[in-house]
Amino acid sequence: MFNRGITVCHIQSSQQVTIISRKMSTVCRDMRNICLIIISALLSIASYGCMSREDDEFVLPGGDFAVTSPHGLLIVNEGNFQYGNSSLSYYDPTDMKVTNELFQKVNGMRLGDVAQSMTVYDGTGWIVVNNSHVIFAVDIKTLREKGRITDLTSPRYIHFVNNRKAYVTQLWDNRIYIVDPATYSVTGTITVDGMQQQSGSTERMVQIGEYVYVTCWSYQRDLLKIDSSTDRITDRLDVGFQPGPLVKDFAGNLWTITDGGYSGSPAGSGIPALVCIDPESMTVIRRLEFKQGSSPRQLATDSSGHTLYFINQDLYEMDADDSSLPVKPLVSGDNRLFYALSVDPVNGDIYLSDAIDYTQQGVVYRFSPDGVQTDKFYAGVNPACFCWIP
Amino acid sequence: MKRLLTFITVLAMTLAVSAQRELDEVVVRATRPLSEIGVHKTVFDSVALKQSVAQSMADVLSNNSALFVKNYGRATLSTVSFRGTSPSHTQVTWNGMKLTSPMLGMTDFSTIPSFFIDNASLLHGTSSVNETGGGLGGAVRLATATVPADGWQATYTQGIGSFSTFDEFAKVGYGDDRWGFSTRIAYASSPNDYKYVNHDKKENIYDDNHNIIDQYHPTERNRSGQYHDFNILQELRYSPNSRNNGSLAVWYTNSSRHLPLLTTDYTSSTPFLNRQHEQSLRAVVSWRIISGKFRTDLRAGYTHTAMAYDYQRDPGNGIMAVMTRSRSYVNSFYEQAELQYVLSSKWIFTAGLTAYEHLVASHDMQVNGVDGVPARVGYDKHRTDLSGALTLRWQPTDRLGLSAVVRQESYGEKIAPPIPAFFTDFIILRSINLVAKGSVSRNYHHPSLNDQYFMPGGNINLRSEKGVTYDLGTTFAISRSSRCAVEGGVTWFDSRITDWISWLPTTKGFFSPRNVGSVHAYGIESNLRIKLVPAKEWDASVSFNYSWTPSINKGPAMSEGDRSVGQQLPYIPRHSATANGSLSYRSWTLTYTWNYYSRRFTMTSNENTITGALPTYFMNNLILEKKITTRPLYLNLKLAVNNLFNEDYVSVLSRPMPGINYEFFITFTPRLKNK
Repeated sequence: MFNRGITVCHIQSSQQVTIISRKMSTVCRDMRNICLIIISALLSIASYGCMSREDDEFVLPGGDFAVTSPHGLLIVNEGNFQYGNSSLSYYDPTDMKVTNELFQKVNGMRLGDVAQSMTVYDGTGWIVVNNSHVIFAVDIKTLREKGRITDLTSPRYIHFVNNRKAYVTQLWDNRIYIVDPATYSVTGTITVDGMQQQSGSTERMVQIGEYVYVTCWSYQRDLLKIDSSTDRITDRLDVGFQPGPLVKDFAGNLWTITDGGYSGSPAGSGIPALVCIDPESMTVIRRLEFKQGSSPRQLATDSSGHTLYFINQDLYEMDADDSSLPVKPLVSGDNRLFYALSVDPVNGDIYLSDAIDYTQQGVVYRFSPDGVQTDKFYAGVNPACFCWIP
Repeated sequence: MKRLLTFITVLAMTLAVSAQRELDEVVVRATRPLSEIGVHKTVFDSVALKQSVAQSMADVLSNNSALFVKNYGRATLSTVSFRGTSPSHTQVTWNGMKLTSPMLGMTDFSTIPSFFIDNASLLHGTSSVNETGGGLGGAVRLATATVPADGWQATYTQGIGSFSTFDEFAKVGYGDDRWGFSTRIAYASSPNDYKYVNHDKKENIYDDNHNIIDQYHPTERNRSGQYHDFNILQELRYSPNSRNNGSLAVWYTNSSRHLPLLTTDYTSSTPFLNRQHEQSLRAVVSWRIISGKFRTDLRAGYTHTAMAYDYQRDPGNGIMAVMTRSRSYVNSFYEQAELQYVLSSKWIFTAGLTAYEHLVASHDMQVNGVDGVPARVGYDKHRTDLSGALTLRWQPTDRLGLSAVVRQESYGEKIAPPIPAFFTDFIILRSINLVAKGSVSRNYHHPSLNDQYFMPGGNINLRSEKGVTYDLGTTFAISRSSRCAVEGGVTWFDSRITDWISWLPTTKGFFSPRNVGSVHAYGIESNLRIKLVPAKEWDASVSFNYSWTPSINKGPAMSEGDRSVGQQLPYIPRHSATANGSLSYRSWTLTYTWNYYSRRFTMTSNENTITGALPTYFMNNLILEKKITTRPLYLNLKLAVNNLFNEDYVSVLSRPMPGINYEFFITFTPRLKNK
């Protein structure tokens, strides 16, 4: 009752409508031909079906690359979490040319998963690759690998105290690692009391004299003061919920942005703020609050330390002496997702990256100090950190 | 190995050429249900489902269809995409109940053993509206078969394979006219520590002064890939009379899978644990009543899923420190009633109502709460999803069929617009059963509970994704005799999906889902199947599937630098194909499978950078099988060779895959005396 009289392929002996009934008593030549066609097709497929790797096609002959400009910009592209597609770009501000994926092209291997930051110290660039649990040391002129520090929990930033000691901050850990750059080895840790391992987070570092100051970001509130001669935390200050970036101004004061977390977090949240701290007394000098729900991020100064720059959807600048937040942006966001920020220490040009949709090559915009766009180029996926070659 | 394959196929060719013989008179009878007017459906036969007892449904789909299976590794997450859409646009049902996780919005096909599936079919595009809403790409319909009334049955299979892989399968059942039961057990385990050359890393050799003097790509093992999967399926059937039939299916899973390291992970000596543990219980009870022109189907079901994810590392003191401790619990209650009324031989009316009550608790790590008391990050929500459908099918002439479906859905307190679908087919040429088909629908896919409530980032203001799809195609089927049958089809489809949901990072540093634009997915699906009996005691079959699936981001652009508009969606191949060949002689069977995906871009802007695209994917597998009949039992010996040409490849960026690997199976089936 529910059937309609047309054929499906299988052959049945049911009591249903007969469609095709054909008597055949001839030699089945066509069947032989079909067999031949099928087997030929399978043969073709088998011989065709081999994969080839394409990575090596991109490696520079001899791995040669040379930074010729006396003053260049390296861009660490974070990539996507669990994709392993971090990369390193180089931009020459003089001839305004960019070269992408240099780490792999020079070294013939991937940079890793979620490259977070880069620090240049004594002719060596140190690239911190968060989810690969590694820090690569590269020659800053050739970008060729010199060595690596491995087995880190979830490294974020590296700060050099001297040529035999550096600090590495981490996520998901309540310890700051102490490493020896000369031997690429971990030599000790600084444990942050009162911080849980699984929600632990230490972030940006600035050194003033013997003391290294460290913000504690994810689910944290403190600014730490570490005596680098003893590797002990000597003081800490509650600066607000989730302080991230950290810079020093012309007067020797520290500035951070507390992003305030997100509403509904069981760990709490707060009003985002730009906070100025006296590092000597570990007290808050000024606290300039943003609107609730805003998302301030990134902080930079010009070479003199008189002017502060930060992102809050748009790019803003303010004098370090100002007692209120600026109202008018220097550069309007215009639907761009400003991701990273840096100021050229030589000429004061401003560099801003746009992560766009986070799954394509991000754009880097270059502006003059008065906010006029002078260049635009594509780097890697999620340009997250700018690092100037002195 | 290639030479061996060539030898085998050439031998087969020789045999085929000699296969000239007289053919007997045959009668070919075939049916086409009125209930499938205009439906574009792919049915997997038992050969496809049982090619290798150890394969998951992800393997079945990748080897036997042109769907795109995104495979993160051996015994690791595998998702399925129809027609260039997202895995979340593939709806999956098991005995009528949705398998798609209401929390995640998708299904991991690697956790579904094909040993537990007796009937599997694909409903492409619009056709999925007949089964459920939300399948913007389509639906995968899985089911167990009714326990047959043929007495006692038992079988046991032991598999031993590469990487210390052990698979065990057992089935025992009994059925008579009134009662039936069946119990199936599957257990699989492996350290899964296959070797591969890591092209993404280099190992350094230092001198005494810590200067690098040499580098090489290391040969590494797949670390943290071990798994233990246990599944048990219990079925019951009760058939009091010819008008009533009831069944119960209960499926329990206990799966412990470690998540392998990325190829770019430099964890070396640090002990760590990266494990996902899932326990799930799925139960469906159904009752069918046939009374005159009415057929009533009643179903009720329950799903419980407990998932635990743990990431721990040794901080150096020998004690594993907990980095991530994620727990989620999903409890879903399912009820469905469907009434079919046959007005006449040309009209069928169907009405159905389906209800789901989802209770989801998902929590992540523990943090210091506002008051210093430890607190968890997550959510605890429940949602009621309702779906009602009315269907009218009409066959005005012998050649023409028309069908209309109107489905109305709600999720939580939100009521989606109606989902209408229209189907038609027309028999063009009876001699080769050439049928033209067409369908059009507007469909909605609703946000998952994670989309709405995940902490942080859940977006309660998300709209349902909207898809408008039409299909046009033809199918044919030719049977020249009992020794040769050919069928095939080709379909053009066109889908426009708006309010596409994507998880994007926020300026706060976490991800959040947003309705971000529209996608135009269109293309061609085609298939060809040929079955032959080239000579006495010989059987041969071959099938080809090919899909061309452009899936284009139509914008709008996110910002002035956005180069993704007009480009193919990431991780969606434009071309995919499979080929299967099977040749049997007496008790021997040789099966060959080939799978192809074109380049997949990893970036929305389709850049040809080093990590911007994955190279064309080819995979070749071979299975050799021998059946032995003895007095007390049937023996089946099977050797499966996977990755025949020992390809060195990744299917997803930074996820290592195994080279050539083998598994040997032996199956014992007692010859039970049944009345």
